[in-house]
Amino acid sequence: MAAKWVETLTGSLEQKKQYKQYKARIGALPEPYGSVAKALQRYFLYYGGVTDGETALTMLGDFADLWERAAADGTPVREIVGDDPVEFAETFAQAYTGTQWIDKERARLTKAIEDAERGHRNDSGDTDPGAGPGEAYKELNV
Amino acid sequence: MVKQMTEMLKGTLEGIVLAILSVRPAYGYEITASLREQGFADIAEGTVYALLVRIEQRGFVDVEKIPSEKGPPRKVYSLNAQGQDYLEEFWRSWSFLAERIEKLHEGEK
Repeated sequence: MAAKWVETLTGSLEQKKQYKQYKARIGALPEPYGSVAKALQRYFLYYGGVTDGETALTMLGDFADLWERAAADGTPVREIVGDDPVEFAETFAQAYTGTQWIDKERARLTKAIEDAERGHRNDSGDTDPGAGPGEAYKELNV
Repeated sequence: MVKQMTEMLKGTLEGIVLAILSVRPAYGYEITASLREQGFADIAEGTVYALLVRIEQRGFVDVEKIPSEKGPPRKVYSLNAQGQDYLEEFWRSWSFLAERIEKLHEGEK
């Protein structure tokens, strides 16, 4: 019974350890690879996307592999990121299809359209014709 | 023009890479080199890497880690049954599109 609790705790400790290892790998990269990797990592944070720790760690691990490989081979940075670093960063991040913060909103949008369609077909008075856009937004917040 | 090419490639590069892997297993750099040989000169290595990561996540390839003299182990990618199915679907979609677009092009002349 306590096992699960302990597992949850050690699981998160394990993730913290992995994250530390990742930070150390990025920190050990020679220049210019280190700066480039850190700049991209900053962009990932703002770009958002992945929210579950496991997927994020897989992504960061692969990311560190990429730069260690590039540094070992002496591949020019530009050859890795291409002409458009933003494009590269986003393509890379999109490869990880773990839970994303936008998923909830995607499901909500899909459902809202389905509900609206159904309401229209049944001609049921689901939508109050007198309700303004403000009302509609309030309803969505429920 | 360059932008248009990038956009068009985005939708097809996955199929192209799977087609390369259907010939034989390869690691990232070999795939980039093979693409460049075939005229895709501007492809960034990182783009190919991101794509390999994606097809790995989607379960189209099997990955084997081969130790290398320097740096981290190299990942060797090989097409699996699921990837093979996906590639066949890609070729069907491609044939359909290519045929339709060619018809439009002919009609224009």
